[in-house]
Amino acid sequence: MMTLTDDLKEMFSEQMHYRELLYEMTRRDLLIRYKQTIMGFGWAVFMPLVNTAVFSVIFTRVAPIDTDVPYPLFAYCGLLTWNFTASSLRTAVSSLTSNAGLVTKIYFPREIFPFSAMLVALVDLLVGSSVLLALMAWYRVPPSKFALLLPVVVAVHVMFTAAVALFVAMANLFYRDVKYIFEVAITLWMFATSVLYPVRTMGGRLGSLLMLNPMTAIIDGYRDVIFGRSAPDWTSLGVTAAVSIVALLWAWIVFHRSEFEFAERI
Amino acid sequence: MAEPIIAFDDVWKKFRRGEHHDSLRDLIPSLAKRLTSRKREQPLDADEFWVLRNVSFEVKPGKAMGIIGPNGAGKSTALKVLTRILKPTRGQIRVRGRVGALIELAAGFHPDLTGRENIFLQGAIMGMRRDAIRRRFDEIVDFAGIPDFIDTPVKRYSSGMNARLGFAIAAHLDPEVLLIDEVLAVGDFNFQQKCFARLEQFRRAGIPIAFVSHNMQAIATLCDRILLLRPGQDPIVGEVPTVLAEYASSKGALADSRVRVHHVSLSEVVSGAEVHGPVATMTRLNLDAEIEANQDLVRCGLLIQVVRSDGLVIFTGMSTVDGLPEFDLFTGERLKARVAFQANVLRGTYVINLQLVDKLRQWREAVINGAASFVVSETTRIAGCAELSPTYELAVTRPTLSAVTRTR
Repeated sequence: MMTLTDDLKEMFSEQMHYRELLYEMTRRDLLIRYKQTIMGFGWAVFMPLVNTAVFSVIFTRVAPIDTDVPYPLFAYCGLLTWNFTASSLRTAVSSLTSNAGLVTKIYFPREIFPFSAMLVALVDLLVGSSVLLALMAWYRVPPSKFALLLPVVVAVHVMFTAAVALFVAMANLFYRDVKYIFEVAITLWMFATSVLYPVRTMGGRLGSLLMLNPMTAIIDGYRDVIFGRSAPDWTSLGVTAAVSIVALLWAWIVFHRSEFEFAERI
Repeated sequence: MAEPIIAFDDVWKKFRRGEHHDSLRDLIPSLAKRLTSRKREQPLDADEFWVLRNVSFEVKPGKAMGIIGPNGAGKSTALKVLTRILKPTRGQIRVRGRVGALIELAAGFHPDLTGRENIFLQGAIMGMRRDAIRRRFDEIVDFAGIPDFIDTPVKRYSSGMNARLGFAIAAHLDPEVLLIDEVLAVGDFNFQQKCFARLEQFRRAGIPIAFVSHNMQAIATLCDRILLLRPGQDPIVGEVPTVLAEYASSKGALADSRVRVHHVSLSEVVSGAEVHGPVATMTRLNLDAEIEANQDLVRCGLLIQVVRSDGLVIFTGMSTVDGLPEFDLFTGERLKARVAFQANVLRGTYVINLQLVDKLRQWREAVINGAASFVVSETTRIAGCAELSPTYELAVTRPTLSAVTRTR
């Protein structure tokens, strides 16, 4: 019987051994994107910009809402960071099933598939950040003095997304319904997160319910450390960090232990 | 550091027939079932079967184990268990050393990437380090023989080029243990020879090999021992000729519906004993057959064909050509035939096919494929298919003393 520490040791050493494969798989996906499209990485910026424009019209003209920073900046920051999670998960959910040939024929840690999906999305996030900087300059919003804490928020964001990515990739391998449920869930989830409007100021029972959503804590965390004037909400960020670590470990161990069933059940 | 080995210890693997749990709808009943039946080592369910049963063998450094068996006998499953893609239901597997698996060589290729990009991708999938790939890059391209196309997307490659590139990458892995699944059937004859030479090289370097193939000739050349997997039966492990003979005799004849085979046997002329194990080269053999006609076959001759396991037709002969009169075989009548011949062939597995052919070729010949088979075991010849029994006359002449001084 494998103990937990054995599992963790094996998971870690496998990732170390196959780290170059993770790099190659990510490179593959980025190369293909470049080869087949004229805009290449432009698409990473284009979609959040279009959405920002649309929602700016809605939330500044049709139904104005109050945000600490100019609304387009608020929305772009939310959409950009949300997109990291959404596109990581969208690729991850079918990453095992669409690589069935590899899963059934060649052995390597299967975590590579969802992880490389995340790395690709991380590159998009980096590319998109340049536009965020440009928007900040345009609206003359100075970076917050808490900006040095940005890596902490990114780390929590990545860990939480990784946990969900491992889980949905595995779930979709066993039950193909997951992909369809996912499409609905990701849309609902976005509107339950403070991507386009601040959930924090919503109040009421619904407001406090929505504050339980880890993605809200993460996206609010981004806004706080990028342009906040006061310190970020340590409690919610801390709780989210703890939840993310536990969720990631749990999802990864379950993933690792059921890996040997993947080839049979795909 | 212990030497690299492959070892199977009483390995069993269960598979399920039919469709199961592919939707969430099936999750609840299966969870309920799992809760109610707590037994771990339950026997087979109705829709389950053993694809591997009681498999035990060991491959030591520098040895090669051939894995043979009919389709669906579990050959590929055995290799998948070895590579940790599948987990055995029971039993232990030990693989010591870095595994190189020559299975699905082009599985990781992406059609839109160039040959160069795919070499790095596929190499990484097979567990090669980036600097190792870079160091051996030229060798790989050279082995595949595609230097002009290395910057062309793989989707523009011919299937042969694709397969050659796949093998070339795999051939430049630095494995300590090698698993091969029917990958020699790629490329043209020259490329196959090159692949085979490469495998020999691995083996001579002391790497244990597990080799799955339907090519008995390749198995006989490369391997020291054979594992014969049989569906629904325990496997057989043993020396190459013995197991090949067992496998060849187990297949049975495949007869045309117009004839019924009552009896076929192969025996040694000298001892009269029926052939079971391997025979020596030049053995005289008797093939006895009793064939009943289900339909009138008029003006027949008996055709005998000997085919080596890799498809090479060694011999085809016809009774009428050899001077026997043609005969009629009416419905219900039986032909008792004895064909005596000498097996002057080299090591390999040979299958005998019989045909009833009419002289005027007015009806389609009645075929009995795999009527009998035999295995020739021989270790004196380096290569080839026929025993030519050469005699040698060799004389060494020495130059005279004057001739030597002149050349200086």
